[in-house]
Amino acid sequence: MKEYTEIPYWITLAHLSKWGTEKINRLVIKIVHDNQMSLETFFHSESEWQDKFGLSDIDIEDLQNAKSELPNNAFLAEDLLSQGFEVVPINSPEYSKTLKANLKVKAPTILYVKGNKKIMQENSIAIVGSRDADNISLQFTDNIAKKAAQQFKVVVSGFAKGIDKQALDSAIQYKGQSIIVLPQGIMTFGSGIKKYYKEITNGDVLVVSTFHPKAVWSAGLAMARNPIIYALATDIYVAQSAESGGTWAGVIDGLKKGRTIFVRQSNQNEKNANLILVEKGAKAVDSEGNIIDNTELLKAVQTMNETTQNNEIEQVITLLEKQKLTSKQILERVQLNMSDKELIKKLQSLPNIQTTKKSNKVHYFIMKDMPTLFPIK
Amino acid sequence: MTREYAEQKLKYIFGFNQFHDNQWAVIDKILQGGRVLLIEKTGFGKSLCYQFPAIQFEGVTIIFSPLIALMRDQVQKMRELGISANFISSQQSEEENNQTIKDALNGKLKLLYIHPARMENITWLETVRDKNFKIAMVVVDEAHCISTWGHDFIPSYRKIINLVNLLPLNFPVLATTATATKRVENDIKAQIGKNIVAVRGTLLRSNLNLFVITVQSEDEKMIWLAQNLEKIQGTGVVYTGTRVSTETYAKWFEYLKINAVHYNSGIDTETKKEIEQGLMNNEYKCVVSTNALGMGIDKPDIRFVIHTQSPVSPIHYYQEIGRAGRDGNPSYIILFYNPNEDRTLPLSFIEGARPETKKYQCVIDAVKSERLGLHGIVRATNVKQNQVNVIVADLIAQGIVIEVFDGKSKKYEYKFNAPTLDIGSFENLRNTKLKEFDEMLSYVTTHNCRMKFLCDFLGDNLSSNCGVCDNCRKKNIQVDVTQEWKNKLVDFRETYFPILEVESKNTNLVNGVAASYYGVSNVGQALRRSKYENGGDFPDWLLRLTLKAFYKYFGKEKFDIVLYVPPTESGNLVKNFSEKIATSLNINISHTLKKSRVTQSQKIFQTSLLKTDNLKDAFFVENPSEIQGKSVLLIDDVFDSGATIKEVGKCLSTLGAVKIVPLVIAKTVGGDL
Repeated sequence: MKEYTEIPYWITLAHLSKWGTEKINRLVIKIVHDNQMSLETFFHSESEWQDKFGLSDIDIEDLQNAKSELPNNAFLAEDLLSQGFEVVPINSPEYSKTLKANLKVKAPTILYVKGNKKIMQENSIAIVGSRDADNISLQFTDNIAKKAAQQFKVVVSGFAKGIDKQALDSAIQYKGQSIIVLPQGIMTFGSGIKKYYKEITNGDVLVVSTFHPKAVWSAGLAMARNPIIYALATDIYVAQSAESGGTWAGVIDGLKKGRTIFVRQSNQNEKNANLILVEKGAKAVDSEGNIIDNTELLKAVQTMNETTQNNEIEQVITLLEKQKLTSKQILERVQLNMSDKELIKKLQSLPNIQTTKKSNKVHYFIMKDMPTLFPIK
Repeated sequence: MTREYAEQKLKYIFGFNQFHDNQWAVIDKILQGGRVLLIEKTGFGKSLCYQFPAIQFEGVTIIFSPLIALMRDQVQKMRELGISANFISSQQSEEENNQTIKDALNGKLKLLYIHPARMENITWLETVRDKNFKIAMVVVDEAHCISTWGHDFIPSYRKIINLVNLLPLNFPVLATTATATKRVENDIKAQIGKNIVAVRGTLLRSNLNLFVITVQSEDEKMIWLAQNLEKIQGTGVVYTGTRVSTETYAKWFEYLKINAVHYNSGIDTETKKEIEQGLMNNEYKCVVSTNALGMGIDKPDIRFVIHTQSPVSPIHYYQEIGRAGRDGNPSYIILFYNPNEDRTLPLSFIEGARPETKKYQCVIDAVKSERLGLHGIVRATNVKQNQVNVIVADLIAQGIVIEVFDGKSKKYEYKFNAPTLDIGSFENLRNTKLKEFDEMLSYVTTHNCRMKFLCDFLGDNLSSNCGVCDNCRKKNIQVDVTQEWKNKLVDFRETYFPILEVESKNTNLVNGVAASYYGVSNVGQALRRSKYENGGDFPDWLLRLTLKAFYKYFGKEKFDIVLYVPPTESGNLVKNFSEKIATSLNINISHTLKKSRVTQSQKIFQTSLLKTDNLKDAFFVENPSEIQGKSVLLIDDVFDSGATIKEVGKCLSTLGAVKIVPLVIAKTVGGDL
């Protein structure tokens, strides 16, 4: 009963618009941990805000404004709870320990959930990847999810198209447990909850959202929930990533934080940035999720890069032996994996390269059998 | 605010000179952000206890109430005083309700009355969590509806409890009721909790004269009323135990040329409103009703409340009679009691209120595998809809099932990690109800002051003897049964026939008639004997009664042919009966209507949904020329949901029959079979 009445206070605090998560959490720690107070008692002890809690005048004003929303949040809470949703605050024993350990004071103050909360206490892996994923990536996702199910590990994913959906459906297929981290408020997820009703009711799927229950989907929220997915898991598997976008940003961020991230080693003919991620520090794995020895791979990658590059330069030389072109024109004709500046640098290092100006633009060309007496720029 | 200052404001705004002590006690606490449970009798002035503070607060006061008529009344009174108020209910259109909500959001309303069922309204949900919607206080009217121990538990009040428990400290909450036993009071306090203080006044109503008339038969009740109803001045209400009996008594009064009308939950909303209006305007001598009427009326001058059947507990009784004499003038309260029969009905309400445990399990299993709406559950489990309603409400109360919205429809979900069904609590409730019924019987048989008995039962130890009940006056009423009156009753019974409502746009069916209700006198018995106990053909007196019904309504109409519904179980009974009718009326009979497939007996299907399914395309006509362009008299023995008649009507209409009139022996009223 006590925790129940705390809920509107948690909601009010967690969504204090001007404060960030860290600031809110620090106050929560002061209230709950340092002073052993309930939020209810805190909110009704205004006289102590300044001295005991060291709050500034602006902070106090913010809190007073928030306090006036309490009745409204009571109505919201009643609606929320009556529909079977629950609120798990950061100090609850039911809160994911992994999430707390990974994000610490930046962990979301409250989680809105539906389903079997115990799933959050199990070992977990995240599977992430592009929305428009290739079949090979989907197959990888399926393999990883299967393994996870067999090892009683929970699969965490974001319910986006492509990899996320595959991860969820595979986990369900192999009778494993999953967590769906929503890019929207939990009360706006009606169709999803309907679709996975049985799995949620059976205790196999837990739906989680960190946003205001009525927040609609936005690209911003989708981005914001990626760190949550990572933080809910111990290991992260990347099926497919481009060189920009949500998945890419997530991996880069994760690597920066020192997380263990497994990326599927892509094949030569695949057009994605998986191998680049490996270069940046992620661990390569095969289609079954087994680690591939990095050094071999890195050498292979380097060699591959070099070979590709050499082939490309050959093409440029052949071209320039026949005609005079600007760097831009060269880029138009030859598939080069480099920028204009990089090309100019490369050109300038070529033996026998010559330049001439036509219509005020620098054109490059190569004279075969040039005497080395000519100046090389 | 001091009391003096408040009373000045009271005079200015409401026109009253001062508060009762209890009123001020409540208002004072509320103004300081406290929580109060106010238990005071009808007519005390409970509304002032929230209306006064509402005007002092900034923001809207929200009042939850299940009584639409009362809300309408209150809003009217507020507006007359220049206070902006409005209400939201199912009786207004969605646009009207949404506009009212908008007005509240824009600060245009001081008081907003809302029926708890409206809490599901989407606009309401969005508005109410908008931080710009300033809420000042929450009032829970008829708070006893929170308690399952009480007489009037309403499932949507559960949401109100949950809400009140989530409201912040120092947010004023007022719960009011006129009928709560000590147990109910404690239950309310336990559920709302959080520093709630109870304020109680005496429940003695000195202007109510209580009587109990002991009889030996139902007939004696009808005779006494026939002899004496018009001797009581003014308009009043007669409460009966069943829907059928509301019609029977109302028709009896009509027969006696007493201006009466019947009312029950089976009547359409429009007609109900008309009757309520009519009662308010004293257009009738009395309204004969089930307890469906109690909740909808706020008439100051109800001069008598008569019960032909004992309610299940003294608290139900107190509440039902409580609507009489709100104006303080003397009113007459009469309860009839037949020691031979009158225990059966209340006991069946108590026992039957709870469906069997295995049905609960059926519903749980159905909802576990699929999210279902009410009809979905009925189809999946073959449990009657009103039982499903009870089961679902209980499951929600126990936290096993939750109600969600799938677009606009209500669906039920199994809650993950739900506890197992607690049957023990049902047992407890049942036992308590049985004990309370015993207390009701004690009321009936006591020789002491009746008002004191009721007040004591309600936990009110303040009252003394009333001095005006039959025991205090030592004047008990006896019924004087004369042969003349007995004859009148017989004559009445032979002229009163139930209508079969089957007319519809897509068939040529016309409303028909039954000779009697199944449960009345010997009709059901005779039918059962013939159908299931090898008693032979339907007896001649049933034939005579049926013909009487026919002559009364269709004597002047022409029919071309008599058809009868082919039976599932009862052999040639209906055929033989129909042949006799045809002979008597000199109309040709045709045996052309047949069953095209084996159907199961309609009896086993508990719901009309399934009954209709059972009969689809089950009938065909061998020789369509016999009915093309003809007026048909269609005969059957029993009319239950009407599914059979409607299906046959459809079939015959398609084949060209121009008019089809159903004539049956008996019409059932839910549960008879």
